[in-house]
Amino acid sequence: MALSSLPVADPTLKRSPEVPRPIRGGRRGKRNLPVGVLFILPAFLFIFVFMLYPLVSSGYMSLTEYNFVYDSTPKFIGLDNYFAAFQDSTFVTALTNTFVFGAFYFVIVMVSSLAIALLLFQKLRFNSFYRSAVFVPIVVPLSLAALVFLWILQPNYGLLNHFLGDVLGLHFLTQPWLSNGTTAMGSIIVLAAWASIGFVTILFLAGLQGISNDTLEAAEMDGARGLRKVFYIVLPSLRETYILTGTWTIIHALKVFVEPMVMTDGGPGTSTLVVYQQVYLTAFTYFDMGYASAMGYILGLIILVLVVLNFFIGKIRADKDA
Amino acid sequence: MVKASLFSRVWMNAVLVVLAILFLAPLVYILLNSFKPAGEIFQVPQSILPKEWTLENYLAATSKGFINYFRNSVVITVGGVFLTVLLSSLAGYGFAKLPFRGTNFVLLTIVATLTVPLVIFLVPMFLMENELGLLDTNLGLLLPNVAVSLPFAILIMRASFIAIPQEIEESATMDGAGVLRRWWTVMLPMARNGIVLVVIMTSYAIWGEYTMAKTLSMDPPAMPLSVGLTLLKGEVWQYGVLAAVIVLAMLPPIIVFIVFQKHIVSGVAQGAVKG
Repeated sequence: MALSSLPVADPTLKRSPEVPRPIRGGRRGKRNLPVGVLFILPAFLFIFVFMLYPLVSSGYMSLTEYNFVYDSTPKFIGLDNYFAAFQDSTFVTALTNTFVFGAFYFVIVMVSSLAIALLLFQKLRFNSFYRSAVFVPIVVPLSLAALVFLWILQPNYGLLNHFLGDVLGLHFLTQPWLSNGTTAMGSIIVLAAWASIGFVTILFLAGLQGISNDTLEAAEMDGARGLRKVFYIVLPSLRETYILTGTWTIIHALKVFVEPMVMTDGGPGTSTLVVYQQVYLTAFTYFDMGYASAMGYILGLIILVLVVLNFFIGKIRADKDA
Repeated sequence: MVKASLFSRVWMNAVLVVLAILFLAPLVYILLNSFKPAGEIFQVPQSILPKEWTLENYLAATSKGFINYFRNSVVITVGGVFLTVLLSSLAGYGFAKLPFRGTNFVLLTIVATLTVPLVIFLVPMFLMENELGLLDTNLGLLLPNVAVSLPFAILIMRASFIAIPQEIEESATMDGAGVLRRWWTVMLPMARNGIVLVVIMTSYAIWGEYTMAKTLSMDPPAMPLSVGLTLLKGEVWQYGVLAAVIVLAMLPPIIVFIVFQKHIVSGVAQGAVKG
């Protein structure tokens, strides 16, 4: 899963006192080329070739008209692709769907992960079993989990309809889940939440462990217990964690791709078509590389704005409390 | 935290049991289905447990197409993890112990790439690999996977090297060891925990990677499991076999998870706390 895309805000990025002064290493140092550069260079080359260059290249391409099949070279057309995107009803639909998915996903993942973390933070007997159960979906390849969900939702011999109809006797609830726009979107949200909650729960648990025992004991002394303690003491102490989990969840909400690709192909109709998928289709089915790049950039900018906004809202709140 | 009252403990256990069932149900369901004979999978009403246990699906899973997907996934994952560990432990050491003018700028640039959605890179990646003839090859998937895994791996390795006290390295310098030897013989063994975490995280990421694999491998023999198996989603007659293959594809990461759970959770948690 996308563990590797966790944006870690590492405070040691600012030079910390224990970072040593430059060491001149062996013979190379005498030629005045800092030896650190040589250690970093191989990794940097990879990142440059496959990420930094593509980032710039895609930015340029978004300002051109370039069909991979028909055009020999990209033709510069300025911001036309960007204007076109907002008049393109398919793109607007995809953008709306992405936001609808993102809003539900964000709320569900944040609230349930926090609630589960609070439960797992109690010293219960089967704690380690509960933890394993909640965390294990993190390591299951998402596209394969989507295949399993597809099967569970299958109307005739799927687990869900069997359970609702034959086990609970609620036959009126059984339905072809992926043939209706609303339930199809709901299914995608459920799969995405199933796959993500474990990871965000780990982040919240780490935040809970960071609250000092003194704070909790002082609260007990003042008579704060149970839910009161949770709402007045524990939740406000997690500000830093909200920034981290919020950032992770926003990025993953707007990057949704695998779930609709495998489960619905964007359907029925365009009811679960998302931006990522529309960029993919535009580029690799219609080979309209310029327009696809512009749509990708729009998504990237939206993510950037929301992440920055989330960061500052979190910071301002934290400063107010301090 | 202080122990909760008996009543609320019962209540919390009940909620957690329901949650555990919900999270595990899809995995248990596919596992049980993989042992059902073809006829039973489509039986209405269903039985959750197979009435007749069979291994025929697993035998069929060894057919050529599936073996191919497995081989591709293994090659890309093993090669990708090896390169990621090597490059990130070099770079992490460079960032932690050998700073030069501009180190912070380079590091921030690398960290910033973590917020860029992959979809922006896809078109240039595709055009580049098309030029170089890397489309539909294992190498063509391995290399970009390494690049995408590196930023996070570098952060982990950098943090592990920073945690090693300066004196240890200084005493090695006195003994006259060159910087590359210090890195290999002294520092790398001490950064073992970081390396384990990078190996585990990167294996998961590459084994399950879908987006780049979907874009850069269009020919079924070149596809890894994560993409190849999704081609079969409509082919109903294959469901039993598909279930067996899905189970086999999910098993390696789940086994690694069970063995290393404490390590993984505390590793992720530490990264988070530092943030």
